Amino acid sequence: MSLIATIGAVEVGLVYALVALGVFLSFRVLEFPDLTVDGSFPLGAAVAATLIAIGLDPVSATLIAILAGALAGLVTAWLYVRFGILQLLASILTMIALFSVNLRVMGKPNVSLLGQSTLIDYFAGIKPVFAALGLPGQASLKVVVVGILVIVVTALLGRFLVSEFGLAMRATGANPRMARAQGIATARQTYCGMALSNGLVALAGALFAQTAGFADVTVGTGTIVVGLAAVILGETILPTRSILVKLIACILGSILYRLAIALALNSGALGLQASDLNLVTAVLVGIALILPGARNPLKSMLRRKAAAGDAQSGAAS
Amino acid sequence: MITVSAAEVTFGRGTPLQTRALRGLDLSIPAGEFVTVIGSNGAGKSTLLNVLSGDTTPEKGKVEIDGIDVTRWSAPKRAGLVARVFQDPMAGTCEAMSIEENMALAHARGRRRGLGLALHGRERALFRERLALLGLGLENRLGDSMGLLSGGQRQAVSLLMATLAGMKILLLDEHTAALDPRTADFVLKLTQRIIAEHGLTALMVTHSMRNALDYGTRTVMLHEGRVAFDIAGERRRNLDVPDLLNLFATVRGEQLADDSLLLG
Repeated sequence: MSLIATIGAVEVGLVYALVALGVFLSFRVLEFPDLTVDGSFPLGAAVAATLIAIGLDPVSATLIAILAGALAGLVTAWLYVRFGILQLLASILTMIALFSVNLRVMGKPNVSLLGQSTLIDYFAGIKPVFAALGLPGQASLKVVVVGILVIVVTALLGRFLVSEFGLAMRATGANPRMARAQGIATARQTYCGMALSNGLVALAGALFAQTAGFADVTVGTGTIVVGLAAVILGETILPTRSILVKLIACILGSILYRLAIALALNSGALGLQASDLNLVTAVLVGIALILPGARNPLKSMLRRKAAAGDAQSGAAS
Repeated sequence: MITVSAAEVTFGRGTPLQTRALRGLDLSIPAGEFVTVIGSNGAGKSTLLNVLSGDTTPEKGKVEIDGIDVTRWSAPKRAGLVARVFQDPMAGTCEAMSIEENMALAHARGRRRGLGLALHGRERALFRERLALLGLGLENRLGDSMGLLSGGQRQAVSLLMATLAGMKILLLDEHTAALDPRTADFVLKLTQRIIAEHGLTALMVTHSMRNALDYGTRTVMLHEGRVAFDIAGERRRNLDVPDLLNLFATVRGEQLADDSLLLG
C-alpha cells in the first residue's frame, strides 16, 4: 500500500473516529440504538460546506454544524422520551427527514469547497515541516489538524464522563430505574446525551467536508455501520474498564478499520475494486462481531491440560 | 412525618385485567419509626412503596412528607427525601460501574449534578470508611466493578448507598428476598444497625412474619389495598407468628392458610 493511501486512510479514520465517539455515547453509554447519525453526518457536512461557500469563517461554520447535529439528536430523543416511539424507529424517522433537510440546506445535491479556505488552512504554516520530513504536505497537514481535534474532543469527553453529570448519564443507560431512584432525571440525561452524540457526528461531517473538499447528500449512507464497526473493533483489540481507554479504543478501532479497508482494496491479490467497499465493510464488521465470542483454540487446549494436571496432583495427594 | 391518605391506585383501568391495588389506604409514619409491612400477594405492598417513592402516582389521595405535598412529584424529584433499596440486588446498583462510582452516584442523590469531578480524595476516604463498617473487606476494592460482588455484598453496599445522602424515609423492598438465609440474616442485622445508628425513619416490606416481628418498632399488615391491622409497642412485643395469623383471621373475618402468607 502506498504512503499516500496509508495517510489517506488514517485521515478518514480520524474523521470517523469522531463518529465512533458519538456512536459510543449513544449505543454504549446511553444504550440508545441511534441511527440518526446517517443523517446528522451529512447534515454537519452540508451546514459547514454551505456556510463556508457563502463566505462564513470555517470556525463559525463548524460550530453551527455541531449545533445543527445536536438539534437532530434532540429531535430523536424527543420522539422517544416525549412520545414513547421505539428508539430505533424514532432515529430512523429523524434520519429520513434529515435527507430532505440536507437537500434544503445545500439547495442542491452537493456543494464544492474547491479554492475555499477551511479549518485545515489555518495551520498551513506548518507544511514546510512535512516537506522537510519527506511527507506529502497537504495530506499530512489534514491528518495533524484532524488528529489534534480528535485528541482535544477525546480528552474533553473523557473528563465529562467522570464528572457528576457524566456519571449520571452513564447510570441512565446502565440502569435507568436505579438512576431515577438516585434522583437523576433520566429524560434530561437522554436529551443531553443524544445532543452531544449527534453534535460529535456533525463535527465529523463538517471535518469530512473540509478535508474532502465537498459535501454531498449521499455521504451519510452507512455512517452508523462504520461508527459501530470502529466501536466494536476498538472493544475487541483493547478490552478495558477505564472510560478514557474505551474512548481511545474507539479512535484506534476507527483508524484500524480504515487501514484494513484500504489494505483489502489496494492489494491486487484479492482482486477487489472500489465498488466492493460495502461487501468488505460487512465482512469486516462481521469478523469484529464474531471475534470477541470466538474462543482461542490454543488457549482452551492449554486450560484443559492445566485442569488435567491439577486433577492428577489432587489425586496424588 | 410521612403521611399517605386515602390513596387509590388502579392498574389497567377499563380492561378485563383491572386491578385495584390500593383502595383508600391511610398510613402515617412519625419520624424515627421503623415500620415492617406484611401482606399476601396483591395486597398492595409494592404499590405502597412505589407511591411513596414516586414511581406510581395515585389517582386519588395524597402523599405528604414533613407537611409538603409530594403526590405529583416524580421519583427523581423526590430522591432527596426518599431512599430506596430494591429487592433485586441487580436493580439497585450499576454493575458495569465501579463500587466507588456507584457510591458517588448515591452521594449526589437529591443534589444538582454539575461538571465537577464525581470522585475526589475526600469522597474516596468517606466511602472507604463507610465500607469498612461492613466488615466485608470491600474498602480495599473501591475500583472493582459492582458486577464482581455477590448478591449479599451488593445489598450491603446498596444499604450504605441509601445512607450517603440525607432523606426523610428509607424504603426497603423485600431487600433480602433474593439472598440465602445466612446472607439475608447478615443484611437484616446490618439494616437494623444502620437504621439505629442514623436514627432513620424506615419502611420495610417483608414476606417473613418472623422478620416482621423481630425487626422494627411497628408492624402493618396490608390486605386488598388497605391497612388490615397496625400494631406497635407492648402489644406487638407479646405477639408471635401464630398470634399474627389469628389476628389477621379475626380482622378480616376469614380463615387464611399459613403458607399463602408466608410464601405468597
